[in-house]
Amino acid sequence: MRRETQNILLILLGGALLKLSFTDMYLRYVKAGLQPLLIAAGAVMILLAVIAIARDLKGAKDTEDTAHAGGHAADSHDAHGHKASRSPWMLLLPVLAVFLISPPALGADTVNRSDRNAAQETKKGNGFAALPAGDVLPMSLTEFVTRTAWDDSGSLDDRTVKLTGFVVRKNDATYVARLAISCCAADASPIKVRMTGSGFEAMPTDQWVEVTGKVVPGSATKDTAYVPTFTVSDIAPIATPTDTYES
Amino acid sequence: MTITSEIRSSRPSGRGPLRGKVTSLEVLCLLLVLALVLQDWLVGVLNVPQLRTASTVFVAVCVQAMPFLVFGVLISGAIAAFVPAGALRRLLPNRTALAVPVAGLAGVALPGCECASVPVARRLMQQGVPPAVALSFLLAAPAVNPIVLVATAVAFRDAPMMVPARFVGSLLTAVVMGWLWTRFGKAEWIAERALRKLEEKEGTSRWLVFAETARHDLVEAGGFLVLGGVFAAAFNVLVPTAWLEALGTQVVFGVIVMALLAVILALCSEADAFVAVSMSALPLLPRLVFLVVGPAVDVKLFALQAGTFGRRFASRFAPATFFVAIASALAAGAVFL
Repeated sequence: MRRETQNILLILLGGALLKLSFTDMYLRYVKAGLQPLLIAAGAVMILLAVIAIARDLKGAKDTEDTAHAGGHAADSHDAHGHKASRSPWMLLLPVLAVFLISPPALGADTVNRSDRNAAQETKKGNGFAALPAGDVLPMSLTEFVTRTAWDDSGSLDDRTVKLTGFVVRKNDATYVARLAISCCAADASPIKVRMTGSGFEAMPTDQWVEVTGKVVPGSATKDTAYVPTFTVSDIAPIATPTDTYES
Repeated sequence: MTITSEIRSSRPSGRGPLRGKVTSLEVLCLLLVLALVLQDWLVGVLNVPQLRTASTVFVAVCVQAMPFLVFGVLISGAIAAFVPAGALRRLLPNRTALAVPVAGLAGVALPGCECASVPVARRLMQQGVPPAVALSFLLAAPAVNPIVLVATAVAFRDAPMMVPARFVGSLLTAVVMGWLWTRFGKAEWIAERALRKLEEKEGTSRWLVFAETARHDLVEAGGFLVLGGVFAAAFNVLVPTAWLEALGTQVVFGVIVMALLAVILALCSEADAFVAVSMSALPLLPRLVFLVVGPAVDVKLFALQAGTFGRRFASRFAPATFFVAIASALAAGAVFL
């Protein structure tokens, strides 16, 4: 591959990283903490390409002769390293993926790939803090699932809780679910709560919702793979949040 | 060794691979125009749940790894430009057998994931560091650095012995592989292009050498990293993870399954501990194997190594590392767990 093409690919890729980090789109793929690193990486890529282009333009004239003189050595190099020089074409794939397709954040398909319910797997070592007072308690799915699995005090029973997540369906059951990531979307693990009651039948799969309701006490057991059941009293569709993942 | 000058040969005025015919520049333009024209069609084709998941995972792996690769090529450029040839060799013990563990421990100083260490190891070889030593650095750096160990400690709060077990298992893998290379490795397995220096005219500023080396490594390694991302995304969608997790509850099976999972999932070494801790149905030992194998050999790393050091090297080094890593993890597990 020609050097100019490599430089253009580098600029495109650096631009793609910058676009992701300046538009919150990066939150579909990685954690918020990576943003400064992404900006730095994109800037370095563009800078390295610009330096190379500037150098080529400046040196174009005086290389005219040396290029011919050194032509023979370059020929043998090319025959030898021809395979390797094709690898930079792969850089075009993420560029096209980001600019043209911009894949969405992971959703129901990923949740259904695993039977795990990730949140309950790390037991809280030091017990649970008391829940704040109030009529409706907004709660992350992680905390909700962890409490239903490990908090024996029944602090959640009879409390009205508001959960946010997307709709997932599997074998007649409907869940409200989210994905937790610790580094990037490749390590996403599902957190889900089974819904009973009514109102969610009409919601399409992957629709983001806010559900209000109460936990069915004792529903998160080994038999249910620690997926608690949640009696829905109210469900409302919402717009997809900027950061869809829990951590 | 053929001395080549990539810079000169590929200047605009220089000779392209197909002079007078279509160059890569025109191909790129054509591809971009085609992609723009077919955008709607592409988006439509990819609008299948599995393909959507795969494309998201693909972009995620690339985006996550790029900053670390950039970090790695900057270090590699700095080594090429500012470290005089032979200086590193003088710093290391004379006997390779002794230098190998030293290089393994030196991995503590490169806080990145595995993508960063491949270009660095290659530059080390170029600067006269024996391959065995550079390779044990390559294997140790992504697994024993403080960031990874802290991440492991945070993830395994309930099993703190996982941290020393991981450290020892990974270091052992790196050192054993270094020694094995000293004993059995052949220099000709490493592609000649890996050890070739970018030739610069006398008097070129060191900063230009730095920028050019970093750029060159970034373009080459970046392509292979993307290739690894494609594989990781494909496996993520094609391999029934749930089924593997269920199978892994038995220890012997678990060790094999988790070692294979580590290879195909290609997780960043800073994240794998969180994934391992979430597989709570498994005993600790298979999960330790997962943590030791992952940073040493996975599909993304295999693509990077094949691209950097050549396929003949990678097809020998990666399988050997795989088995040595499993054995080291089992040994470390026997001591600590």
